[in-house]
Amino acid sequence: MDEEIVSEKQAEESHRQDSANLLIFILLLTLTILTIWLFKHRRARFLHETGLAMIYGLLVGLVLRYGIHVPSDVNNVTLSCEVQSSPTTLLVNVSGKFYEYTLKGEISSHELNNVQDNEMLRKVTFDPEVFFNILLPPIIFYAGYSLKRRHFFRNLGSILAYAFLGTAISCFVIGSIMYGCVTLMKVTGQLAGDFYFTDCLLFGAIVSATDPVTVLAIFHELQVDVELYALLFGESVLNDAVAIVLSSSIVAYQPAGDNSHTFDVTAMFKSIGIFLGIFSGSFAMGAATGVVTALVTKFTKLREFQLLETGLFFLMSWSTFLLAEAWGFTGVVAVLFCGITQAHYTYNNLSTESQHRTKQLFELLNFLAENFIFSYMGLTLFTFQNHVFNPTFVVGAFVAIFLGRAANIYPLSLLLNLGRRSKIGSNFQHMMMFAGLRGAMAFALAIRDTATYARQMMFSTTLLIVFFTVWVFGGGTTAMLSCLHIRVGVDSDQEHLGVPENERRTTKAESAWLFRMWYNFDHNYLKPLLTHSGPPLTTTLPACCGPIARCLTSPQAYENQEQLKDDDSDLILNDGDISLTYGDSTVNTEPATSSAPRRFMGNSSEDALDRELAFGDHELVIRGTRLVLPMDDSEPPLNLLDNTRHGPA
Amino acid sequence: MERQSRVMSEKDEYQFQHQGAVELLVFNFLLILTILTIWLFKNHRFRFLHETGGAMVYGLIMGLILRYATAPTDIESGTVYDCVKLTFSPSTLLVNITDQVYEYKYKREISQHNINPHQGNAILEKMTFDPEIFFNVLLPPIIFHAGYSLKKRHFFQNLGSILTYAFLGTAISCIVIGLIMYGFVKAMIHAGQLKNGDFHFTDCLFFGSLMSATDPVTVLAIFHELHVDPDLYTLLFGESVLNDAVAIVLTYSISIYSPKENPNAFDAAAFFQSVGNFLGIFAGSFAMGSAYAIITALLTKFTKLCEFPMLETGLFFLLSWSAFLSAEAAGLTGIVAVLFCGVTQAHYTYNNLSSDSKIRTKQLFEFMNFLAENVIFCYMGLALFTFQNHIFNALFILGAFLAIFVARACNIYPLSFLLNLGRKQKIPWNFQHMMMFSGLRGAIAFALAIRNTESQPKQMMFTTTLLLVFFTVWVFGGGTTPMLTWLQIRVGVDLDENLKEDPSSQHQEANNLDKNMTKAESARLFRMWYSFDH
Repeated sequence: MDEEIVSEKQAEESHRQDSANLLIFILLLTLTILTIWLFKHRRARFLHETGLAMIYGLLVGLVLRYGIHVPSDVNNVTLSCEVQSSPTTLLVNVSGKFYEYTLKGEISSHELNNVQDNEMLRKVTFDPEVFFNILLPPIIFYAGYSLKRRHFFRNLGSILAYAFLGTAISCFVIGSIMYGCVTLMKVTGQLAGDFYFTDCLLFGAIVSATDPVTVLAIFHELQVDVELYALLFGESVLNDAVAIVLSSSIVAYQPAGDNSHTFDVTAMFKSIGIFLGIFSGSFAMGAATGVVTALVTKFTKLREFQLLETGLFFLMSWSTFLLAEAWGFTGVVAVLFCGITQAHYTYNNLSTESQHRTKQLFELLNFLAENFIFSYMGLTLFTFQNHVFNPTFVVGAFVAIFLGRAANIYPLSLLLNLGRRSKIGSNFQHMMMFAGLRGAMAFALAIRDTATYARQMMFSTTLLIVFFTVWVFGGGTTAMLSCLHIRVGVDSDQEHLGVPENERRTTKAESAWLFRMWYNFDHNYLKPLLTHSGPPLTTTLPACCGPIARCLTSPQAYENQEQLKDDDSDLILNDGDISLTYGDSTVNTEPATSSAPRRFMGNSSEDALDRELAFGDHELVIRGTRLVLPMDDSEPPLNLLDNTRHGPA
Repeated sequence: MERQSRVMSEKDEYQFQHQGAVELLVFNFLLILTILTIWLFKNHRFRFLHETGGAMVYGLIMGLILRYATAPTDIESGTVYDCVKLTFSPSTLLVNITDQVYEYKYKREISQHNINPHQGNAILEKMTFDPEIFFNVLLPPIIFHAGYSLKKRHFFQNLGSILTYAFLGTAISCIVIGLIMYGFVKAMIHAGQLKNGDFHFTDCLFFGSLMSATDPVTVLAIFHELHVDPDLYTLLFGESVLNDAVAIVLTYSISIYSPKENPNAFDAAAFFQSVGNFLGIFAGSFAMGSAYAIITALLTKFTKLCEFPMLETGLFFLLSWSAFLSAEAAGLTGIVAVLFCGVTQAHYTYNNLSSDSKIRTKQLFEFMNFLAENVIFCYMGLALFTFQNHIFNALFILGAFLAIFVARACNIYPLSFLLNLGRKQKIPWNFQHMMMFSGLRGAIAFALAIRNTESQPKQMMFTTTLLLVFFTVWVFGGGTTPMLTWLQIRVGVDLDENLKEDPSSQHQEANNLDKNMTKAESARLFRMWYSFDH
């Protein structure tokens, strides 16, 4: 009876402890928010909220490490049992009473002594899977969900080149340099454990995931050239996906035979196969659930109940992650593509209320998760107990990431400039080079496995790289922008007003034929199929598919033909954008005239594309006016409400 | 060799995680199905099945499939290891398995007769959550949302009555249920269905307190939709919200009631200790919740955070969550703290927020509430089949049904009579009947019952609670609309219209009188509070 109470007390005690630990994080985040507000209020741009979260994390880590001494628990007994495997739950019979134990983790033998000592520090260390299962998905989903920009699709080719080729280059360059560094260390005898070429490559893959969240926030605030913004943002988002899959396929690289660290062609091809398989599988999974959500929201009238709609949206997006994980793909990658698809199709089917709700919900989740990760990063510098700091390795890594970034950006830009009409200027290239920050993704990948010596060294180095890049590069963005003479204060909507006709042609020609084909297909078939916008399917599909087309076309689509309600969907409106448009009321008269011919020149999508590129700004204005004058069937009071809500923003 | 084993354990872990994904996926699909069905129902204006009822139905179906369609797989976790070296149960256990040391964390104690089911179906075992998830993850948003949306003029007008129902009523209901159940337990012992000495009076009281948590979410949803009389709405809503808090603390203090010598005899000292505990925890949680809300209110007032709605929303969310965590860390009840935090936030902080944040926070918590509620009800349906230690006892169930009706009657009618003596604006008979009728049991009762299912009486209680929830949600929830018409309760009363009408219409005088009356009606205490607050 007494024992029972004791163990009950212990469980309660540990629950309290857990609550207190979580409370530390929450208070850290609260503090970060308040400080950020102060900074934003004063317009201090040299420190981004993530950088600040790291600083606070560092401080708390310091206090936990050196300020608190927890009386050590003497309860740890190592049992030797004749168990063959490690079951997830263990039932132990202790003097007639049965207790259930759950598996917490594996402990390497040299840690064994530390276990007792640093109970407190271990308590504030999370299971790394938490990052992949809880914190990263909202961040990545939000990135995908807000990726939907005209400029993104226009620069798709370049972005894909940077993301795929660039990441591969960067990975290999970093891997080779680090291998050189490691051999050097071996010669000088600094290496205390094994470090193979695959480990170097893994390190290369881990630190190839750029995360310029700090830079992008400043770009957004200063309204830097949209082209640059789209390039950087698109690259960083896709590159995360590539880096994850790349690192997991490098981990899966296991040559046959005895020597497990030599080069083996079959194993390499197998790894490449795994890479392609996982990537395309995750892509397909994400896109598929996005399409399903679009169809469901299109064919049900769920938009009358915004709460249900938002719930469905959230659950479907989460299911993507779970489905991918359950089938052995990478959930984070699937979630990214799901986000893109949702933004491209489903977003148009949602009611305006739900559009705001979903945006705000994921914005909040993203904000919380991001700051949480960064403050945790600060914390781990002190609380993680197996840091291996090796100066040679750290210096080598710093050199490697610069060279890797340079080998990524400059040659690829050169190649791309051969094909692009609107060249990527050399100042843009320098800026992209400069914006190679490392962030949450690199950290999460590095912390995932810290069992061996090599991995621990990688983790410590990655942590330092993240700190350095976020503080130094993030803080220096504003200075760098003015130093490189990059246009600031460019309003994405105003940009094309003054552009002469021939320049418009060039932007059109610039996009590759592949992209144009995709655009046509998307505009004529996918959009009408999945959303209420676009031309009705009955006009775009060949006559033989008539009945199917009729039943798949929503009644709203027919109205589209008459009403002017075109592809305004290619933009997600930010609060800022709208208010900007409102500020400039002279533009409002223009779309009426310029868009008049569009209605009649209907389906030639070549022209539609051209005009879309040229008049994207007008469409925005049209949309803006639609908020004021409700001309479609949605509820007027709601629109007015929206309008007033955005007015002062 | 080492590498091999590492790969093995990685595989294991992978398998483990993969399983977790599948379970969550099942819940996700159930919820999606529920949402779609609910939309269909709402679209066709069926009111007999609320979304929570629908979630339960889907949960039941899924549980049925899992129970009977999946082959039982044996897992090795059922084997029991004997340890001679251990004389007590440490909080962490290091196990050396073929040179790999694994760390195990203490989870709980298992009684002898529960060991066998653990060897059974792995899938069913996997589909069972840790009950603490309800208290730490799912219930807080629900309760916070309840508190946050409590801000109605009518609530403060009826504060006295609501407090009476919540505190006195819950205590009465707990004791009445406990007594009746004790009688039934005695009968069961007499009939030989139960061994003597297993089921004590404290267990009966425990059952009574957990059964006292009413949760008329179904009824309230219908009320809201039909715009039922706001007074009735507020009385019911306020009672159910506060009553949850009371029931949680009451359950806790009953469970720690442990007299010195004979563990089940009446002991004045222990009794007063329990009462003291109850008051201490309740007051502590109340203070904690209000304190955090006041901090938030002050912060939002003195900073100009309203320029950045996202930061503001983030702050609001984080501080409300801190209220929960600090209450838990201090050994108080987090849920109660969160409830009062919600009430205070709504009363003060809400006015400081920017209009954008007002909408955001409302929507955020509404959304979280919606998801959490449906997950719980879905899980309830599932638990009927996947939980492996059900004990169905016809006599006990019958007794429980009887007890909750009698107790609800003992709660509502005498208290209404007493309150009517003091109230100027009486609570009419049809309101009383309606309140009697809407004594549904829901998420809180379930969560309290599932928290501890170790001993046999607790398992019996859990099973009975589950059945009671099903019955009340489906039958009473479905019967709300007919009941409303049958009792001739005003429907279609618009709250705002009431407000607008008041000053403009020709009843200016009557209106003044009415206002005076409502003012007089609210007790002295409330008036004092109001002027202090104002």
